[in-house]
Amino acid sequence: MNHDPYSWGRPSDAMYGQYNNAIANAPNTLEHHSSGSNFNENTTRPIVTGTSVIAIKYKTGVVIAADNLASYGSLLRFQGIERLHKVGKTTVVGISGDVSDMQHLLTILDQLEMENNYDNDEYSDNVDELQPSYIFEYLANLMYHRRSKMNPLWNALIVSGVDSKTGKPFLEYVNLLGVKYASPSIATGFGSHLAIPLLRKLADSEEEAAELTLEQAKKGIKDSMKVLFYRDTRSSKNYSLAVIDKDTGIAYDNNVDVEDMSWKFAKDITGYGTQRV
Amino acid sequence: MSPQHGSQPIQHQFNPYSDNGGTLLGIAGEDFAILASDTRQSVDYSINTRLSHKIKVISPPVTKEMKLESTDIVGTKNSVLFGTNGFSADGDALTKAFEENWKWYVHDQNSNVETGFEFLNENNEEKESFMSMQSAARNVQHLLYGKRFFPYYVHTILAGLDEEGKGCVYSFDPVGSYEREQCRVGGAGASLIMPFLDNQVNFKNQYIPGTNSTERRKIEYLSLDECLKLVKDAFTSVTERHITVGDGLEIFIIDKNGVRSEYHALKKD
Amino acid sequence: MFLTRSEYDRGVSTFSPEGRLFQVEYSSEAIKLGSTAIGIATSEGIVLGVEKRITSTLLVPESIEKIMEIDSHIGCAMSGLTADARSMVEHARVSAVSHNLYFDEPMAIESLTQSVCDLALRFGEGASGEEERLMSRPFGVALLIGGFDKLKGYQLYHAEPSGTFYQFKAKAIGSGSEGAQSELQNIYRNDLTLIEAEKIVLKILKQVMEEKLDSTNAQLCTITKESGYKVFNEEETKKIVDIIYEEDEEEKKRQEQEEQDEEDEDEDEDEDEDMN
Repeated sequence: MNHDPYSWGRPSDAMYGQYNNAIANAPNTLEHHSSGSNFNENTTRPIVTGTSVIAIKYKTGVVIAADNLASYGSLLRFQGIERLHKVGKTTVVGISGDVSDMQHLLTILDQLEMENNYDNDEYSDNVDELQPSYIFEYLANLMYHRRSKMNPLWNALIVSGVDSKTGKPFLEYVNLLGVKYASPSIATGFGSHLAIPLLRKLADSEEEAAELTLEQAKKGIKDSMKVLFYRDTRSSKNYSLAVIDKDTGIAYDNNVDVEDMSWKFAKDITGYGTQRV
Repeated sequence: MSPQHGSQPIQHQFNPYSDNGGTLLGIAGEDFAILASDTRQSVDYSINTRLSHKIKVISPPVTKEMKLESTDIVGTKNSVLFGTNGFSADGDALTKAFEENWKWYVHDQNSNVETGFEFLNENNEEKESFMSMQSAARNVQHLLYGKRFFPYYVHTILAGLDEEGKGCVYSFDPVGSYEREQCRVGGAGASLIMPFLDNQVNFKNQYIPGTNSTERRKIEYLSLDECLKLVKDAFTSVTERHITVGDGLEIFIIDKNGVRSEYHALKKD
Repeated sequence: MFLTRSEYDRGVSTFSPEGRLFQVEYSSEAIKLGSTAIGIATSEGIVLGVEKRITSTLLVPESIEKIMEIDSHIGCAMSGLTADARSMVEHARVSAVSHNLYFDEPMAIESLTQSVCDLALRFGEGASGEEERLMSRPFGVALLIGGFDKLKGYQLYHAEPSGTFYQFKAKAIGSGSEGAQSELQNIYRNDLTLIEAEKIVLKILKQVMEEKLDSTNAQLCTITKESGYKVFNEEETKKIVDIIYEEDEEEKKRQEQEEQDEEDEDEDEDEDEDMN
């Protein structure tokens, strides 16, 4: 059996003879892949993808959310993929974009955490505990390094948490290009268009975020997830929500559903597809 | 349809760059220099953040005595004000690379051995040496040219005091061509502000009244207050006309007392 | 057991039980066999001087090169296995030129000296295999490196084969170094002029050299802020050598005269005694 993925779903040469590429000038993808060229194939587009991650700072922490869907193009391929990940004691990393690249990042983050645990267990003082800022710096360097090799990890990441020493909320973004920034509210993908306007209404500056309560922040995130589910075709109703608070630590719920939706407007939408009214 | 179509694979290329907008501006005065930038970082039509920092003060340690003189000092007179504008990931990487070089330079110059015999040294008021602006500029050229075939996509401006204590501004293109200038604007607002500065700082197209445009207005140094006014006017104006400029204005001023910074709000629309 | 040196002087990177690296120590001995080199730092500039051993009347003195330019503001004089110095000087020149390329300024003398000394311990086996290894043995040469920089003014450094370096106001190395160094100690003042220093260097060389000093068997160079590295040609050296001999001549005459006077005085005294 030919195990090359490029041969999957094609008539086997043994049964039907070699495909005649002269017919209709069909591209000989198999040859391009296996013999003719020796390209070094890096990720040039994402395959299985996760959509937006959104997050906002409040008085004593950060709220972050991402749905549990992994799409394969327009196909809702995997419906139980969590895209928020705890790293260390006070950090949650939210990842959108290519899911296999995300899983690669997770193995790296696991190693990072494991190595830190060797040096920093209950027997040693906690001076070098992983902080959100350390994890962010590491990931940002990794992302920029990969893009500089023209072999990017096709993701946008949000690192959220609180610094366990100072108790200060932390929220920063980095993407496949290595572009990074910090802001009181951050969203990736569609979230940057649909959620950010709502979140900036709650807090448009660090000063305003420092006045925000957990309830306000949580409501902002939930409303935003609802809007995203309304408008983003690659989103799902079921999502994960994490709260990282300086006093209560990480509260992580991987099974939240968008609530109080109203699809009444849908019946009035006309002019698409086969509708005749 | 062309015969090539379909018979040849289409190469999708990853684009390793983005344009993160913003504007950077440097003016050199007689005994001071200014480096200013807006604090917006954007991509396409989205504002990533309203508070990002495009300028880094690379400074020797600020001593307690200097803090006593004025509390808002963020760097010494030997600082290099280092600004980048364009693709922010490259800007950050370049800033980091330069900072590293700057630190190594300081270590190499001021190693454990005591300074030379006093009598052998004619100008020994300074016990320590930090990178001169001239050296910093040359070093940045090599950092940029070192990536000539995969450039740092940034417009870089350095500001500081030269070895005589005069204000200086150095500006760079993405691959390392550089020049010392009296003033320079980089980034999104360059084409809007630069002509304004040509006129207001270097008195271009200014003639003495009554000479029938035959005698140029003589060039003279502007005062710090005049320069700050120009900077603020330039940024409020460009905020009106350019979508990637706005949110906030960060100004760094270096003179013999050290580095101070100012922040002014710009329109957030 | 292990009482003799010979047990531990084979490997270049093996300590003896007393904690010594004999090969490195021996390399310092090699310098004591070399021709004398002297350097003086003054507030007006640096003077370096070397002795050239003319081993045959058929030898062309100009072909002996023991003073070399590193950069327009740095010079060096050497003693020991001068062939070893070539790789050091080459390294130094590359360092100086690349510093100038990367920082648009002349390299500081101390940094330059440090970069030369970085080479010195790259013998034996490097920690990460053969890649760091440049040489099979330590250098057998010492350098006097002098120059001017804006940071610390005029400086003179002595770079040893062990890789350490020290700053000196005046320093002598090579076979005549013991005598020369004590002479420098006596004669050195902080307010020496460059001209005085030039004469001192040649005078001391004259004292410690086996051959008779002339304008071909000694060489001088100066480094000043204004005109940088300048090596003396035979004519210029001759002028100073002539002055030294003239002064010696005068000194001799003066001493003879004094002796004469003393004798005369003695005679007078004798006469006086006789009178009494």
